[in-house]
Amino acid sequence: MTLILEARNLTKRYHDFALKDISLEIPCGCIVAFFGPIGAGKTTLMRLLAHQIPASSGAVQVFGLSYDNREKEIKNRIGYVPQEPSFYADRSVGFNARFAAPFFARWDGGALYRMLDEFKISRETAVKHLSRGQRTLLSIALAFSHEADLLMLDEPTAGLDIILRRAILERLRQFVAGGERTVVVASHITDGLEEIAEYVNFLDEGKLVFQSEKDELLARWKRIHFREGALSPDLVRQLTDMRMQPFGSSGLTRDFSALREQLAPGIASGDVVVENARLDEVLIAMLKGE
Amino acid sequence: MFIVLSPSHPDPMYKQVTDQIKNAIASGDLKPDERLPSVRELSEALKISAITIKRAYLDLENEGYIFTRAGMGSFVAGIDRNRLRAEKLAEYRTELSRILATGAKFGISGDDILQLVRQIQED
Repeated sequence: MTLILEARNLTKRYHDFALKDISLEIPCGCIVAFFGPIGAGKTTLMRLLAHQIPASSGAVQVFGLSYDNREKEIKNRIGYVPQEPSFYADRSVGFNARFAAPFFARWDGGALYRMLDEFKISRETAVKHLSRGQRTLLSIALAFSHEADLLMLDEPTAGLDIILRRAILERLRQFVAGGERTVVVASHITDGLEEIAEYVNFLDEGKLVFQSEKDELLARWKRIHFREGALSPDLVRQLTDMRMQPFGSSGLTRDFSALREQLAPGIASGDVVVENARLDEVLIAMLKGE
Repeated sequence: MFIVLSPSHPDPMYKQVTDQIKNAIASGDLKPDERLPSVRELSEALKISAITIKRAYLDLENEGYIFTRAGMGSFVAGIDRNRLRAEKLAEYRTELSRILATGAKFGISGDDILQLVRQIQED
């Protein structure tokens, strides 16, 4: 497995917050999502990985290179979309695009303007007259316009309507389809990224509390609905995020394969129903379980 | 009574509720004259709107499965178990036709399926 990005014990300390000891290996050809509550450190991590801010300690390697001596080369191949993209607000979209162009060796202005046309953003409009969503789109379009090999996006679908969100998700999927390029994204679970991400990471209070392939996670975590008395008290004790109610209770298991045999008779008689857990349920259960 | 509602199920919520209450009546889980939970009770427990439960109860009432006494609540009607069984049989017929059609695709005949049923019964 070829790695496109690698982080070792990455740490960033602020006076009131610290992102601690993050180690990651991100392969080629996939979409990797970071989820977590507000203030978990998602944006700090994205900034560190894109080398927008220096780390307090630890190391990042991108394309097998280090920012220490190959920063320009790495950044040339990264498309970075910050949460609050900064533009010359009084100047036009076109001016901002021409300003960005010389920073990249493989600039493709045609691709940029095709994308802006698709998003119905005129190049004459001053950036200050764009909505928040349009600014994000402009930033995404810029990231897509210099033949990057790695996209890093911080909440790219926040503030977009469902149609644009779908369009962006589709573009991200196409971006990685060849198997050589990767998307790293920080987002909220309800923003649609959970549908297309192949790897999910949960951040909480500056720590990476969980990382897994999404399919593996969803194969293990299930919500078990059961008729009162259908499960032994011992089995019920193994479930988390319990919802007790008179017409059938339910709880989450983090290891369905271990329970499968015990549950089989109940499933056959209809007294037990197993459903896929949703990613947000799993995240909440993990955060509560800490 | 055991009710599980699923947002990804193709049937609307009220239909999922009516079908599962019908099943509870047909299997004897709910007995004739037994009091059903109030609309409010059930809507709170299942975390769906009272309107959905009301709609489900109204359908059940129109089909003769339950009856409602003003101020007292809804109760299971003294319904003919044979009728319920006939309805279930019709459902099984549909389900079996589907299984037979799928089986045909893989060269599994009706006889093969009959044999499987006997094997399962013996286990």
